[in-house]
Amino acid sequence: MDCQRVDVAKDCIGVLSKQFPGSTRVGRLEALLFEAKGDWAEAERAYALILENNPFDQIAHKRKIAIAKAQGDMSVAVDYLNKYLELFMADHDAWRELAEIYVSLQMYKQAAFCYEELILAQPTIPLYHLAYAEVLYTLGGLENLQTAKKYYASTIQLTGGKNTRALFGVCLCSAAISQLTKGRNKEEDSSELQSLAAEALLKDYKQRSPSKEALIAGMLKNMKLS
Amino acid sequence: MGVECRYEVAQAAYVKLALHALKHPTAAVNGLLVGRLLDSASPAVVSVVDAVPLSHQPHHLPLLPTLELALTLVEDHFAPQGFAVVGYYHANARRDDTDLPAVAKRVGDHIFRYFPRAAVLLLDNQKLEKVIKGDSRDPVVQLYSRDSSKSWRQAGSDGSSQLTLKEPSTNVVLADHVTTKKWQQIIDFDDHLDDISKDWLNPSLLG
Repeated sequence: MDCQRVDVAKDCIGVLSKQFPGSTRVGRLEALLFEAKGDWAEAERAYALILENNPFDQIAHKRKIAIAKAQGDMSVAVDYLNKYLELFMADHDAWRELAEIYVSLQMYKQAAFCYEELILAQPTIPLYHLAYAEVLYTLGGLENLQTAKKYYASTIQLTGGKNTRALFGVCLCSAAISQLTKGRNKEEDSSELQSLAAEALLKDYKQRSPSKEALIAGMLKNMKLS
Repeated sequence: MGVECRYEVAQAAYVKLALHALKHPTAAVNGLLVGRLLDSASPAVVSVVDAVPLSHQPHHLPLLPTLELALTLVEDHFAPQGFAVVGYYHANARRDDTDLPAVAKRVGDHIFRYFPRAAVLLLDNQKLEKVIKGDSRDPVVQLYSRDSSKSWRQAGSDGSSQLTLKEPSTNVVLADHVTTKKWQQIIDFDDHLDDISKDWLNPSLLG
């Protein structure tokens, strides 16, 4: 089906359904075939049938969400995903999917919530820290920027300083924060973090992308001054 | 008041944005347009000379950090050559989605503050299919420009903005690049941030 060989897929499913009549797995494949053909109504009906017999069939639930997404029905997809997560709270991929859909809908607070759940469940995965920081940065405002900086920092820690986005993130946050706090009494001097991040970036660019080193150096310099 | 303005898109810019979309067929992609206003021309012409691909990852594309970083670096890089960021391009993930998404409007608004004739180009996936098959001479992008009510309007609906391809054989060249699978080599900012040895300028891509 992935190769658009719907005819071959149909034949395979035919053979399987003869061999395993009434099988849920084959039922799912049949429904998937409808999806591949773009026959959304039939696919939905097929999954509904599967779910009637097996209300906890995770794959069927997820396919329903996928259909909504494929049709561009984002609010329906969000609705289904939320219901799914009520049943299957530990499904990290589902939380990530929900976060991404929220981000695409510019619902950043809701996306942040999803990443918070993920960080709580798996605190040592840097991807979640990074994604959370990016959403907070996008939300903006002093508090969010300060928190974003913390999560960029934790990403740096979890990745041994190798994550370029996190290093840049610290610099971006610092620059944005200093813009917002211009003229106010600066809090504890955390400039060590951003100068270390800047140093790490320059070192890395010098080594692996020397043609861009001057450009990065210029930008970092401007950020420190702002 | 539709400010009459023509947008002339050079082959390099056009091909890069199309290749970017082709490299990531199941995701939305976006990027910046680089160029300048040709003041000698009347009515005004914005010459789009290059495109810098930005994102294809859904957890980075609509968010600010990649965009802000890229805007700064792209501006800094091109300013000495007399070019600036003059627009934004976007390609939707779904084949039949022809709506200009909110993120495109937001970025467009931001660029508009610095370049009042900013253009937003939305890739038409179905037109792109036709061009690849060699069936079409039409541009695969739809031009949007900002009207006086601060909303992004499709060009052509009131005749006030116009998009032209600078080189008439652009679509043929694009189809050619597709057959040689050139889209595999294009680098965007997401790729660069994952591996900084990859160059978002794509200097040797189009030869």
